[in-house]
Amino acid sequence: MKINKILIANRGEIAIRIMKTAHRMKISTVAVKTAVEPNAMYLSFADEIFDNSEDVSEIPVFLDIEKLISIARTTGANAVHPGYGFLAENAYFAQKCLDNKIIFIGPSPDAIYKMGNKTIARRLASKNGIPMAMGSNDNITNEEEAVEIAEKIGYPVIIKAASGGGGRGMRIVRKAEEMEKMFIIASKEAEKAFNDPSVFIEKYIENPKHIEFQILGDTRGNIIHLGERECSIQRKHQKLFEEAPSCALDNNLRKTMGKMAVQIAKAVSYCSAGTVEFLLDSDKNFYFMEMNTRIQVEHPVTEVITGIDLIEQQIRIANGEELKIKQEKVKIKGWAIECRINAEDVQAGFAPDPGKIEKLSMPSDKYVRIDTGIQAGSSIVSSYDSMIAKLIVSGRDRKEAVRNCKMALDKVWIKGTKTTLPFFRLLVRNQKFQDGTFTTSFIEELDKFYFNSEYEEMLAAWLATKLFIEENLQEKSINVDFENSREMSPWLMNKRINQF
Amino acid sequence: MNNRLRINKLYALSSEKRKFSFPLPLKNKIRIGKRDYVVQLKADEKYGTYILWKNRKYPVEIVRSRQNKYEILFNDISYTFTVETPFSMQRMKVLSSGKGKIEKESLRAPMPGKIIDVMVREGSNVLRGEPLMVLEAMKMQNEIQSPVNGQIVRVYAKPNSNVMKDDLLIEIKVE
Repeated sequence: MKINKILIANRGEIAIRIMKTAHRMKISTVAVKTAVEPNAMYLSFADEIFDNSEDVSEIPVFLDIEKLISIARTTGANAVHPGYGFLAENAYFAQKCLDNKIIFIGPSPDAIYKMGNKTIARRLASKNGIPMAMGSNDNITNEEEAVEIAEKIGYPVIIKAASGGGGRGMRIVRKAEEMEKMFIIASKEAEKAFNDPSVFIEKYIENPKHIEFQILGDTRGNIIHLGERECSIQRKHQKLFEEAPSCALDNNLRKTMGKMAVQIAKAVSYCSAGTVEFLLDSDKNFYFMEMNTRIQVEHPVTEVITGIDLIEQQIRIANGEELKIKQEKVKIKGWAIECRINAEDVQAGFAPDPGKIEKLSMPSDKYVRIDTGIQAGSSIVSSYDSMIAKLIVSGRDRKEAVRNCKMALDKVWIKGTKTTLPFFRLLVRNQKFQDGTFTTSFIEELDKFYFNSEYEEMLAAWLATKLFIEENLQEKSINVDFENSREMSPWLMNKRINQF
Repeated sequence: MNNRLRINKLYALSSEKRKFSFPLPLKNKIRIGKRDYVVQLKADEKYGTYILWKNRKYPVEIVRSRQNKYEILFNDISYTFTVETPFSMQRMKVLSSGKGKIEKESLRAPMPGKIIDVMVREGSNVLRGEPLMVLEAMKMQNEIQSPVNGQIVRVYAKPNSNVMKDDLLIEIKVE
């Protein structure tokens, strides 16, 4: 059976990203229209739309396994692409697709299950000689056991959810007195987020870099890696900025870590695109953290420097084709960086700031790639994530990529919500960032999360003063310069109307 | 505003106590060093409202205006100013010298979301920075921390309840 129609079990930019490649491969696509986003941009990229907007149940359709299977059947889609998030790493969903003779574009349910369960993954890694932070071999069931193990491996330790991901259910513990409280918080969080209260303990690596390797494996046992991505710029354990390659790796270390990444993928006969995550300490020791069995948000930086379309590879592999790219043919060319422009308030510690995007325009320079599912008029809704767009910028080397990024950031125009742009403006000017010596604690160590030029506050003050004059002082009593009053008034009126 | 009074300048005071003064009549030029630079407030279909300064456009928005207080979003950064005349400035100085400190801190929801956990109860003593509750919004868990040392007077938020932005969550008596 060859894939001829793909149901996109996702929304936003990743749905568009998948549909673009499918379209190029002459495979038709089905997108799902929801009540939350009935006019979303991704719908216009699909060959066929399944209208599910009458369904107002609390669980999003992208998490509803039975519904998705039935949509695939109704529309005649013989494959499903889960994108990232939602059901992308749900082994039961992958199995359900197989049971219903629908191709799941991703790895086997077995690989998803084993890598999704962190304690099983740890055991597999240890069996295969992959370096890991010291930790518990099994799940921890109570505080006493937690204290005992932590004493053995030495504080600080990190408690992690066995079924975890995305930074939830993680707690760092620095001394025994904190253990009881943190253990309870972590397992409560794990239960709520993943329906599984199991946690395990690992030695906490202080100030590491987050380095991950992109893996591609086919159904015939060929597995290669496409080099690393550096994702150390994170807040609340969630990535905000990524680049490829990483300036922390030389060719030798890249080779060693890449080999280990391939080895762990081989342990589960991995067949699709996947990512092996490592922590790298300041002495260049690396530790296996986890494997993500999906396409990642940050996959474009790898595509830019290798010239390989990862979605195309996923589809070909799911079709049973042999992986044509050989490890020695993988060449890294130039540098790519990705800024996640999210609707967030950097002045409120990156709190989400959902709302309607009123204006949006993006740079179109040749060194810029934009992956987005949002256009002017779209809304960032609180039921989904806060992403507006991924700004992907390349250059011949890191310096050029950063310079290009600085220019591109000033060309992005978004109105309607606050965004992470001021953070990136700060980042590209930061010395530690330019030197490449930053670690996962980069954001925590900043005393300010944004950049504004010397004159921006003054210009804002000028505007406040101008408004005060228009609203409070009478034209006759004081000689206000009303040169611009004609173009100003309708705007001011609009603003006032919008306030009610 | 008294019509007969002649006001020759206005002050914009930032929430961080920075002071900007603008002579009246307000010009659309700002002096930097020895040069004047034209500043223009514009609006069009493509960009919405913006300020044009030194050949560059900056997005602007008036988030809130109440009496003489303005919250302005300038290039994605919020600034809050109170605009004062020389007279109101003088009056403010006199008033602020005899002002007492805040006794009660009311915490409000910084964003809409769901209360996942409440870690304190009425009567609990809390320290500055201590987590009080967890608010989940857009797939992220946000810890609401105590801004002060004090005692919890009242907890309004219930676990598993949904809250809107600016809903009252908790009241703390400041120590």
